[in-house]
Amino acid sequence: MILTRRHVSRRTLLRGLGAAVALPVLDAMTPALGAAEAVSRKIAPNRMVFVYVPNGIDMRNWTPAAEGRAFQLPKILSSLSPVQDDILVLSGLMDHGGEALGDGPGDHARASASFLTGVHPKKTAGSDISVGISVDQLAAQKIGAVTRLPSLELGCEDGHLAGNCDSGYACAYVNSISWRSATVPNPPEVNPRAVFERLFGNDENAGDPSARVRNARARQSILDLVADDTHRLQSGLGQTDRRKLDEYFTAIREVERQVEMMEKQIESNSVALPAMAKPDGVPIEFAAHARLMFDLLAIALQTDTTRISTFMLAREGSNRSYREIGISEGHHGLSHHRNDPALMDKVAAINRHHMDQFAYFVDKLKKTTDGEGTLLDSTTILYGSGISDGNRHNHDNLPVLLAGGSRNFKTGRHVRYSRSEPVSNLYLSILDAAGVPADHFGDSQNRLELLSDLA
Amino acid sequence: MPRLDILLNCLGRSGVGLITICLVSGGYILGQNAQSKEDQARSPLTYEQVVTPFVRQNCAACHNEKLKTAGLDLTSYHDVPSVLRDRDRWEKVIRRVRAGEMPPKGMPQPKPEAIAGVTDWIEQQFAEADRSATPDPGRLTAHRLNRAEYNNTVRDLLSINFKPAADFPADDSGYGFDNIGDVLSVSPVLMEKYLNAATAIANRAIPGDALPRPTRMRFSPEHSPNDDGMELENRFEFPAEGEYDIKVAVNGRKEPFRLHLLLDGKEIKTADVLIEKDKPRSYEIRLHIPYGEHLLSSTMEPRTPSPQEVATANRLKLEEEADFRKAVAKHPEDAKQIALQRAVSNPPTFIDAFEVHGPYNALRPPLPESYRRIFVCGHPPGEHNSACSRVDLAHFAQLAYRRPVTPDEVSRLASLVGSAQNDGMTFEQAMRVGLEAILVSPNFLFRIEHDPKPDDPAAVHRVNDYELASRLSYFLWSSMPDEELLDSAAAGHLHDESVLSAQVKRMLQDPKSDALVANFFGQWLELRNLDSMRPDPDDFPAFNAQLRSAMYTESKLFVQSIVREDHNVFDLLNGKYTFLNERLAKFYGIPGVVGNQFRRVDLDGTQRSGILTQASILTVTSYPNRTSPVLRGKWILENVLNAPPPPPPPGVGSIDAKGGPLAGTMRQQMEKHRANPACATCHVRMDPLGFALENYNAVGQWRTHDAGQPIDASGSLPDGRSFRGSAELKTLLAADKEAFAECLTEKLMIYALGRGLEGYDRPALKGIVKELSSNDYRFSTLISGIVNSVPFQMGRGDGNTQMTTSQPTVKTINTGGGK
Repeated sequence: MILTRRHVSRRTLLRGLGAAVALPVLDAMTPALGAAEAVSRKIAPNRMVFVYVPNGIDMRNWTPAAEGRAFQLPKILSSLSPVQDDILVLSGLMDHGGEALGDGPGDHARASASFLTGVHPKKTAGSDISVGISVDQLAAQKIGAVTRLPSLELGCEDGHLAGNCDSGYACAYVNSISWRSATVPNPPEVNPRAVFERLFGNDENAGDPSARVRNARARQSILDLVADDTHRLQSGLGQTDRRKLDEYFTAIREVERQVEMMEKQIESNSVALPAMAKPDGVPIEFAAHARLMFDLLAIALQTDTTRISTFMLAREGSNRSYREIGISEGHHGLSHHRNDPALMDKVAAINRHHMDQFAYFVDKLKKTTDGEGTLLDSTTILYGSGISDGNRHNHDNLPVLLAGGSRNFKTGRHVRYSRSEPVSNLYLSILDAAGVPADHFGDSQNRLELLSDLA
Repeated sequence: MPRLDILLNCLGRSGVGLITICLVSGGYILGQNAQSKEDQARSPLTYEQVVTPFVRQNCAACHNEKLKTAGLDLTSYHDVPSVLRDRDRWEKVIRRVRAGEMPPKGMPQPKPEAIAGVTDWIEQQFAEADRSATPDPGRLTAHRLNRAEYNNTVRDLLSINFKPAADFPADDSGYGFDNIGDVLSVSPVLMEKYLNAATAIANRAIPGDALPRPTRMRFSPEHSPNDDGMELENRFEFPAEGEYDIKVAVNGRKEPFRLHLLLDGKEIKTADVLIEKDKPRSYEIRLHIPYGEHLLSSTMEPRTPSPQEVATANRLKLEEEADFRKAVAKHPEDAKQIALQRAVSNPPTFIDAFEVHGPYNALRPPLPESYRRIFVCGHPPGEHNSACSRVDLAHFAQLAYRRPVTPDEVSRLASLVGSAQNDGMTFEQAMRVGLEAILVSPNFLFRIEHDPKPDDPAAVHRVNDYELASRLSYFLWSSMPDEELLDSAAAGHLHDESVLSAQVKRMLQDPKSDALVANFFGQWLELRNLDSMRPDPDDFPAFNAQLRSAMYTESKLFVQSIVREDHNVFDLLNGKYTFLNERLAKFYGIPGVVGNQFRRVDLDGTQRSGILTQASILTVTSYPNRTSPVLRGKWILENVLNAPPPPPPPGVGSIDAKGGPLAGTMRQQMEKHRANPACATCHVRMDPLGFALENYNAVGQWRTHDAGQPIDASGSLPDGRSFRGSAELKTLLAADKEAFAECLTEKLMIYALGRGLEGYDRPALKGIVKELSSNDYRFSTLISGIVNSVPFQMGRGDGNTQMTTSQPTVKTINTGGGK
């Protein structure tokens, strides 16, 4: 058995360390090779992806006029026409946590912080950030352990450089939509090269399996040593410092699990191989950047390196200008369009440009086989924003659509909900579909209806 | 300044003993300056007698229980303790009442004597409270190195300079800075990156036996539309002596140029860029290049095209024109966008990228400096004695952990290395594993201070000399302490006032103090955001990558001169000199500066002085297509006057339409908005400050007209003082010495400590400001004031000592969110 052999060799290595060193990750290792298991049973696992766009949407050109199956795709959604049967436009959902609730301005920070958490973020610029665990991370806690990366966070814009971010909200609230816990954001990776290296390693011994295994073993011992360092340190520290080191320790354990997984994959010769060349860096043009990231995401899902991902096409409040489609004003500036139709049209053009890149991704998944169906069938993708109209900063009637996941949801429809139905209700349904049901999530009330029944 | 020396004499020589007893009897020390005559005559008056009537008469019309204008109900306070609990808020109230900003214009105004009476009385209560309070140095949370600190630390530890943290996730910031210990977290992604960085560092520090394999290095900077694109240069590190393929790529329109490729300034290739259809234009040469860093550069100049090229050019132009017409005919409604798209996708010819492949036929590179630093045992490569591992590891860990290491720590590292050897690794490979372990250890990644009584907040003590060395070096260098600091700490001398001040002086003169400029000033003044600003290339054709970099360099050199030459800090506001190269001087309209080198330029007789009228600041406080008096005014309030405006109340939103197009001059638009009384209270403070800078456009260039009308750069402050233009405004700002001095001190203290300031830091803050004012506002006084302060030199156990904590200063910037 692979497992036994590995343990023996590892213990041998550890013997030198003298002290009885805990092997903290073994209990987390119970699920055997997830990918192999799925492949052998020919059943594609459930996957989920959340794609975020900032600054609201020109809803005139987003919401289909008709409900049900026979709906026309409005301008912004038009590039989805090849996959119209795979999408589910959900109108009328609301992000209650984005509301001011007495906290004054800061709708952008609140929108991105609350969108996937369903929690109203604490207004602070400093040390006590607090929101809630995000839906992707809740799922990752349960099904992330079977893949090498529990989840993959992507973005097209780097974090803020200086200053605080939105009317007294800490930058963490706009830099991340994924939250490991109420206080620990999961920042996105923006550099395609770095994403590639996370997925496929940056190992100079790629051609020499025995050297790779040896290195992986050494890495395990290093992690054991520093985990031990951490415990020794903690005993003499105050509570805040102990908490900081707990965070460090949690990260060590997670990485340790990944290294073990990698080691097994090397030993069983099932290492995922990239079907693309390593990217150079960050492409300058948005579309090229976004597509490259989507390519990487598709490969990550296909190779079962992860099953869960979030992707911020831009940061909330982003003022990027899209000159490549002839728009020189910043996006955020334009989104304060004061109902001027000329400005709203430009917002719509940006919305459409974002959607075009997303459509490329959906199309790509549809063309990739996975088990007996396509990668799109097994992947539930949510695309949306925590702000509806960028001018009003309202958090009701959000632009939200699902793509894929057709084995769980009845796609190819437009469904309209009452205007205050929390988007968290949708997350309960997505968690159900992924086989990790929760009783409640964020501000959820019930599971969202009409997703899989009726036509 | 707080008399730390007296306090510390209580401690005896140990330096780390508990001094709770000293503090109980010596609490006065921190407030010694306040122990003045007028305070000693205890005021017999009560809150009800002094404050209540003043509030009732002047404030309660708006700030009452019902209206709570600006969230403030002043009728809810009935005694001094209630005021002390909300002290920050009351400090602001006092400041605004004194400045004549409150009550607002149009309301009955109290007499100056009445204002002085009530504000002085409240301040007396504050001073008294400070005197009787137990001094609290606060404590520093275990501080994860941020990206800049990590890079610098690795550089100084191993003499390896490849910025391993470039790929790390961005550090979150708090209180305006990204070195706040409480905010810096560790995610699994970061942990992965730490491990990978450690491997990469170890591989470089202890190079393997294998020769470097050929790899591809590429340099393609972001090209902004207005770059002339006629030159490109970059430094590449060549990992070994050998053959390399060097490639330069040209992009953009088909135009006739001659291209030159140079290595370390010596021409290595010349080529004609031809007009041919569908031909990729890159030019390659294989060269033998020595090990190390070399400068690759390329330039281009126009040449006369051949007749054949002219014909091709004409044909291409016609084809393109036809494509454009076809596209417009198909979507006439998008004609403008299509035209713009065409211009964007077809820029003038520019040098796009360098690519270096290699080395081929590599020769063995020399051993790097890091090798010598690690293998201190002194055996040549391949002949290391394994018994040396303890010596080498102990030496390295001590540097990396910035403190002495215990024999047990060394033993555990040595066993790790030993087991790796048993697993089949060579000694050098195994030492790499040891190095990696040190580089991902919490002892390296975190700056952790040890309190004798970690959970007792009353256990106040002086930090030990090693901790002090780290506090100093991360403050002034954003890096680890060097050998001299560590030696001084080891000898137990560092905390001696004379030793400390000599070290501070030395450190400020060291080039490593550039980190203070890049990281403190870069964030305080928001200079870091310059990189992400995207001024509209059509509106501002002069703005390109070179100009952007010149703007940054100007501000950097200017701030550097303040630090290195120990200027009066008010020179930041009004210094009559700057640093320019030809490009920026021309942009400013300042004659007589020739060449690319920056030099000091006298600004007398120009429209500029100090940081406020430098193009960098003017650009980061603008929208891509126009100026924003609101953003500029807010910037001044936050960063110069320390009086950030509150965010707009719920439901009011921004009066400035965030970069949307406007009709009329900016000023006319703004004044129209200000007619709304809900907005007026704050904007009456912000906007006039910004109006003073209206003569500088959104990239900081001088202008006299806006929207065809002459600019009116006059205005008045809420207290009635009026000004015309930026120069007069700067004079007024500089006259308010305490506001600016306190603002700068507060920001620098936050940065120095890596934490937000709390109520208990106030005595230290006030003390430093006072010291500064009595020392001609020299920058060095500010630094030494902070270094010698109680919060910088002392620590305590964890837990809350006071009920009140201050609100962080809230600051927003324009590139991101915000209504």
